[in-house]
Amino acid sequence: MKKILFILFTVVVSSAFAQSLTNVQYTMGFGSGDLGDFISKPSFRGFTVDFRKLVQPNVGVGFELGWNTFYEAKSYDTYTVGTLSYSGKQYRYNNQFPALFAADYYFQPEEKISPFAGLGLGTMYSIRYTDMGQYTLKQDAWHFLLRPEAGIIFNANPNLSFAVTGKYYYGFAAGDLDAQSYFALSFGFVFKN
Amino acid sequence: MRYKLTAIVAAFSVSTLLLGCYPDGPEYTEDLDLVLTNYEQSYDFKAKGTYARPDKIVKITGNLAGDDDPTYIPDKVATPILAQMDKNMAALGWAKVDVSADPDLLLTPASWETTTIYYYYDYWYWWYGGYYPYWGYPSYPTYASSYSTGTLLMNLVDPAVTGANGNLINQWSGAVNGILTGAYDAARINKGIDQAFTQSPYLKTN
Repeated sequence: MKKILFILFTVVVSSAFAQSLTNVQYTMGFGSGDLGDFISKPSFRGFTVDFRKLVQPNVGVGFELGWNTFYEAKSYDTYTVGTLSYSGKQYRYNNQFPALFAADYYFQPEEKISPFAGLGLGTMYSIRYTDMGQYTLKQDAWHFLLRPEAGIIFNANPNLSFAVTGKYYYGFAAGDLDAQSYFALSFGFVFKN
Repeated sequence: MRYKLTAIVAAFSVSTLLLGCYPDGPEYTEDLDLVLTNYEQSYDFKAKGTYARPDKIVKITGNLAGDDDPTYIPDKVATPILAQMDKNMAALGWAKVDVSADPDLLLTPASWETTTIYYYYDYWYWWYGGYYPYWGYPSYPTYASSYSTGTLLMNLVDPAVTGANGNLINQWSGAVNGILTGAYDAARINKGIDQAFTQSPYLKTN
């Protein structure tokens, strides 16, 4: 416990005086597992904001907030549960809100092209609506979230860079929902301080 | 300061842009049409072959008192709807007979236009009560909605089968539900009726 507190203290104190990166990104999502089964279409509505303090020239720690909405209008179909059958068009919505602490390692931070990789831990709120007729089924959950990532920063000038990032969000089963997971591809501007 | 402001403006712009294109869902009232069916799994439809039905469709108002006469939807609307039910029943092998001819099943159609409904009245007693005076009433499913909706109900009951409380049991129920648009849309209703029978292949008799 003391060790953890010491590391946290070091990180916080170091970060107060360190350079920072803010990455504002447009994010596409590709559902996998239960989410992919529920909505097969990718999400083109999403954004992510990443903030990192550079505690070392090649190590950044901080947080990430994001949102992706998945949507699919299913064709007219019949669904059967036991002896009950119901037919109609289903409109499916799945919103993911990840919020997590993250750390990244920059392999060559001084270069024009700077690859990096990192890991994030936190939570993800999922809210799912299944609309059929005038009826809505709502399911939601707060998941424990694990999120590895890898990307490349293109350093255009000392204050502004561009980034392409690939992430995988895995929210463990919770609440009304099974595990929710998706791949994300983000394009963004990196503002440096 | 300038760096922070730029980052905040960028984040705000991206999020606003994306929130503005949140998916809309259904475009037409027909997209909200729903057909539900349910049945008693233990009931042997194959062993039956005849049914009777009234020549009217009772209109459920939700506030009918015990001695009130029920109201009906206009004949010019009801007749083609009933014909569509007959067509589907015939396609499944059923023969329509008069209620006095001891039918295997009774088809009891009803409709309602409302936002919320909850009732206990036997809407069809006026029709079959004279032949089967000891029956109770079949129960219809209940729905709640915030829109003005129209629902066409079709129930099949066996006059020889009652539950523990003496009431008839719905051996099959079909409901065609949709938002009312003010006009009788025959194609839309017929499509719903056809779908109710199509998704109930177990109704096929020998």
